[in-house]
Amino acid sequence: MFDAFPYDEWGDDIAEFWTFGGEGSTGTWILTILGIAVMLIAFWGFVILENRKLTAQADRLKASGALDKPTTSPTG
Amino acid sequence: MISSLLPTWLAQVPTAEDVNARVDLDTLILTEQFYFWTVVIMWLIHVGFMAYEGGASRRKNLMSTAMKNILTIAVVTPTFYYFGWYIYGCFQEGWPKSGHDSPDAFPGFCGLTSPWSEAMGPNLQDHVSAVFFLAFLLFSWTTGSIMSGALIERVRLSAYLILTALLGSVVWILDAAWGWSSGGWLTTRFGFHDSIASLVVHGVAGAFALGVLLNLGPRIGKYTTGGLARSFRGHNTHLTLMGLMLIFTGFYGFYAACLVIQSTVFPGWLNIYGSPTTLGAIAFVITIGFAGGFTGGWFASKGDPFWTLSGGLAGVISVSAGADVYHPSLAYLLSISGGMVAVWSGTYIEKKLRVDDAVGAVAVHGVCGFYGVLLVGIFAGGYPTGINNVETSFGGQLMGMMAFLPLAFIPGYVVSWILKKFNLLRVPAEVELEGLDLAEFGQDFYPEFERVPEIIIEPDGREVESAPVLLDAYWQANGRPATPVGTGERS
Repeated sequence: MFDAFPYDEWGDDIAEFWTFGGEGSTGTWILTILGIAVMLIAFWGFVILENRKLTAQADRLKASGALDKPTTSPTG
Repeated sequence: MISSLLPTWLAQVPTAEDVNARVDLDTLILTEQFYFWTVVIMWLIHVGFMAYEGGASRRKNLMSTAMKNILTIAVVTPTFYYFGWYIYGCFQEGWPKSGHDSPDAFPGFCGLTSPWSEAMGPNLQDHVSAVFFLAFLLFSWTTGSIMSGALIERVRLSAYLILTALLGSVVWILDAAWGWSSGGWLTTRFGFHDSIASLVVHGVAGAFALGVLLNLGPRIGKYTTGGLARSFRGHNTHLTLMGLMLIFTGFYGFYAACLVIQSTVFPGWLNIYGSPTTLGAIAFVITIGFAGGFTGGWFASKGDPFWTLSGGLAGVISVSAGADVYHPSLAYLLSISGGMVAVWSGTYIEKKLRVDDAVGAVAVHGVCGFYGVLLVGIFAGGYPTGINNVETSFGGQLMGMMAFLPLAFIPGYVVSWILKKFNLLRVPAEVELEGLDLAEFGQDFYPEFERVPEIIIEPDGREVESAPVLLDAYWQANGRPATPVGTGERS
């Protein structure tokens, strides 16, 4: 065993730092709530931003006349 | 000299306790590595889904299709971390009762699955929880992505992301808690057996997708006014087939990750229910399942390349539920039938039910997922399942099917119905006609390739230019009278 390296002692220090105080601590709760909030905002953003793009493009296409009623007959 | 060194040497000789501790640690690290590499291999499933669906889409929808697969990871990962894993750990006894006190579940597992628990962050003492979570997360991506291909070329990206988060982080993981865990009520009470997730992943994703498709509707021009099905030509069939081959490669990781191994706790390989099996047994079945599925798909489709490869997937899905039980010859026969069932049911869904499932996901995953669980009831009845050794039975398998069909279909139908009511499910018809890529990204993703007229295949097999067909269908969908054939009159 390579015991010159105090793995266990350093491990305890690192674990405490990583988890902002460990299971159920205030820091962990704050991070969890922040994460959930950002996740929900991201969902809202996906909806709003896409809706804006799609509506604008649909309006442009309608205004352009590109989708006027066809003058040639479809085959189906 | 020697006598003077002896005490030093003896002091360095490890004791039996030291050796045991080292073996325990190495075993844990082996388990950690095993699941880690299954996760790496399972990424290929998602590379494959992206290539598969991208190739099946028309050129004008390539990137919008691929973006769905990419952003599946962006939404299913956090939702699964924040509540999906907790559902798996704590709802094995059913809803609304949680599994905190379940005598059948692994003791204390529920407490390790909440996002604020010590197992869900960096933890030097825990080598297993994180990689086990990650393997399940990849299952969740897969389940969410199965629906993706069915909806291409007309679903809104944001609507898909909401639906895939619901499917990947709530619906499938709740059914996994019930029927794909050692403490799940379907297993402990009815011996429900679905060892490599025919139903809990594939069948459920297919049923959910069907619920969404009923609200989403077909692509513009998919059906004639008489209800006959046209075919859209995907812009790169080779990419589609390569994607399927990547999915197949990733499936080996998926299969392996469905087993449990940790020799400090269990004496050998276990399936998800805690019953003994081997990695070799399931590798036998998946490999011969592909062989049988390709064969069945080829014959049922008369050599169609798309259905031949999809038949391989359907074959594996059909035998996955009993992969730890079946003899390879039985798996071969059953997977041939599965490949055929996928082709026949896919044709029925498209032509008779008039549900526009762009890649046949409902047939391949949904129908064959349910079919696979049914086959276990027929061919593996009496097999002792789980830590309670409850015998698998036809009735128990039916119980699982009856529980999971509404569990999957109803949320898919209801949430997509709500999105539809808010006009957030489907892209505007004008955008669908032009192609989603220009609206979403402002560019064509083959800028140096000349554009050629898009082709559509009529029900009688004729290939015609699609623009007038689609434009006519667009006008009909907008409530105006169809252009009479040959008159060319304008309204």
